[in-house]
Amino acid sequence: MKNRFGGKIVSFLLVLVLVVAMTGCGGSDEASDTINVGAIFNLTGGQASIDEPSYNGFKLAADEINANGGINGKMINVVSYDGKTEQTTVASNVKKMIDVDKCVVIAGLSDSNYALAAGAVAQEKMVPFITSGATLPTLPEQVGDYAFLAPFGDDVQAYAAAEYAIDELGVTKAYLLTDQSMEFTKTLAKFFEERFLEKGGEIVLKDNYMNKDPDFSAQIDRFIANQNGAEILFISGVPDDAGVVVKQFRDKGVTLPVISGDGFDTPLLIEVAGADADDTYVATHTSLDNTSEKVQNFVKAYEEAYGNAPENAFAALGYDAMLLIADSLSRTTDVTNPTEIRDAIGQTSGLEVVTGTITYEEGSRVPNKSVTINKVEGGKFVFQQEVNMSK
Amino acid sequence: MKLRESNLFRFISFVLIPLTIIVYAGFDRGGYYTGLINLVGINIILVASLNLVNGFSGMFSMGHAAFMAIGAYASAMLTLSEVQKLTLMPGLPEWLMALVLPFPITLLIGGIFAAIVALFIGFPVLRFKGHYLSVATIGLIIIVRAVLDNEDQLTNGARGITGLSSHSSTWIIFAIAIIFMFILHRLLNSAYGRGLIAMRDDYTAAQTLGVNLTTKKLSAFCISAFMAGVGGGLWAHMINVISGKFFYIEYSFKIVETSIIGGMYSISGSVIGSILMTYIPELLAPLENGLKIFGTRLPELYGISNIILAVLLIIIIIFRRQGIMGYSEIITESIFSIDTYKSVFQKQEYYKLLKIVGYKIKRIGSIPGYISNRILNRDNKEGK
Repeated sequence: MKNRFGGKIVSFLLVLVLVVAMTGCGGSDEASDTINVGAIFNLTGGQASIDEPSYNGFKLAADEINANGGINGKMINVVSYDGKTEQTTVASNVKKMIDVDKCVVIAGLSDSNYALAAGAVAQEKMVPFITSGATLPTLPEQVGDYAFLAPFGDDVQAYAAAEYAIDELGVTKAYLLTDQSMEFTKTLAKFFEERFLEKGGEIVLKDNYMNKDPDFSAQIDRFIANQNGAEILFISGVPDDAGVVVKQFRDKGVTLPVISGDGFDTPLLIEVAGADADDTYVATHTSLDNTSEKVQNFVKAYEEAYGNAPENAFAALGYDAMLLIADSLSRTTDVTNPTEIRDAIGQTSGLEVVTGTITYEEGSRVPNKSVTINKVEGGKFVFQQEVNMSK
Repeated sequence: MKLRESNLFRFISFVLIPLTIIVYAGFDRGGYYTGLINLVGINIILVASLNLVNGFSGMFSMGHAAFMAIGAYASAMLTLSEVQKLTLMPGLPEWLMALVLPFPITLLIGGIFAAIVALFIGFPVLRFKGHYLSVATIGLIIIVRAVLDNEDQLTNGARGITGLSSHSSTWIIFAIAIIFMFILHRLLNSAYGRGLIAMRDDYTAAQTLGVNLTTKKLSAFCISAFMAGVGGGLWAHMINVISGKFFYIEYSFKIVETSIIGGMYSISGSVIGSILMTYIPELLAPLENGLKIFGTRLPELYGISNIILAVLLIIIIIFRRQGIMGYSEIITESIFSIDTYKSVFQKQEYYKLLKIVGYKIKRIGSIPGYISNRILNRDNKEGK
């Protein structure tokens, strides 16, 4: 009685699964006049607010390239998967892109935690990986010779923030709050401190938190009790915390200016903190207010495609990553050979893109690009300065 | 005559076909579909070991991810190269830094570590019954996560460990899965296993019959943790990335979910559950990034697979609470029974199978009548 249907169900399911497994193995081959380019972005989860604009930018660039006749007559086919802001999903989706979709080059991700996971997989399968937004300067070294950074390294943006604070804002005493759960935030804090001390500044208090902590009152109370004359708050954080932490500081009556890296370049900062987000400085990749033709053309194209202005600089970074790939592919004779593509990427020189100029100097896989400082004023990011940093 | 009573049919569906798939996957190293088949193997290890505790012993543990994490990190510490350890785990003592062991040994060590932790926390935690035990084991996950996130020098903190090599081949995974299934199968058919089941059904009755509850509970918990630790090590070296964030409540729930869907009172249930829960999300994945049907592209529906899966779980819980396999052990019984293999050489088995298949095919023609008869004569049939 108990198992009257058991056998039937089991056999039915087994057959079903087998049939599915068989059909799955076939795989569909696209015509060979397209080039499959993998796009791995965290479209859901904590990174979505910066990865989604990036992905939109990436697609926009691909569409533009295809509209202009593709690369040497071949169309670009963007294969995209959601990384779900989980390292494991990112890793397995990158595997899928390479094995199933036969992508010859992979790009994406705006945080080094995920980019390291993706890069390691691509490296093992010897397919070039370009991170569109992760800024860990040692990432290519950690992963291997198939990994490239499209943006500048953290060292550069942290130095720019430190120099801007001392030279332009005229402050010398800083409070340093670091998210201890991210490679990016820890590195950013380290380089900021290094340059800030070099320039004669002083770190009056250091404190830590973990990504997604909902409550910062312990840290804020500690700060209020030991201000030691701090003049600026450097908060090394990622997008999902940005608005929350700034708002809680303001709620407790701290009105000092806040400065951070590109992790704060997110619409979430303004959405969550509202008017409290004012007086926050962000060192990032570009300003969409920048009047140069390149930037304005990009903004216009993005608006036409998606109905709204680019949310932040990551949209431009995604766009640029695709341009970088297209440029490298156009210099490659055999676009099915990932190693040749890697060599072409490594030889990129003087490529003008929205966020600056990409040149990989001899042996380096991190480009030297300019840093833009934006400030939140009246609920908007306002362009302040573009700095060319030398390491 | 039922199909499942034929030994030859059992041989074909539970031994020959799976073996063919495993061998095919084993020679096609590194492909994505091979990866999925490997994942099924690892899930079988995890779910089968969880069933030992949740299904057969009547304790309800939710802490499987914690034991996986311990196994994964322990084996990672022993397979990474010295250079990698210098950047990822700078706090390791010097002798451990230089120590790189063969993969199977690291798995064993990972499993033993997990079992030791299970032993220590088992003493206090296993005094609880029912929900209290579940909550206590969730607590264990939280503790393990906190340690992994904060012991920066040993675990690289919340940033996780990347760049593990792909040691977990299909051969290793399925060899271990089959060995573990065999151990569990033998265990559950011994006096020990019957003691466990007696304990599950009635504490007092089991005690009066001389079952020592404490040792029974603790040993089952440790065996299960050992297997989970090994599974964690295999998993780590297949996905190549581990972090505390992954081995968390969500993943633990996923293992429990798989166990419930497959049937937690059965080792065979772990096999069916693992196959379904590995492949269904994969089949639904195209829906997420815009499926092409007859030339039109559906919109991208990120997150839809989770919703469909949740609905499926609810349906199964409502209509078949004991899981798909219920109490049936048809798969393990077929794989580990000598009759299954003998049947290949017996002529009458082939005749029997042909007869059953012929009967089934004939019946397909009269399906509508068959259904109506079935509904009308339900009681009569039962009486026979």
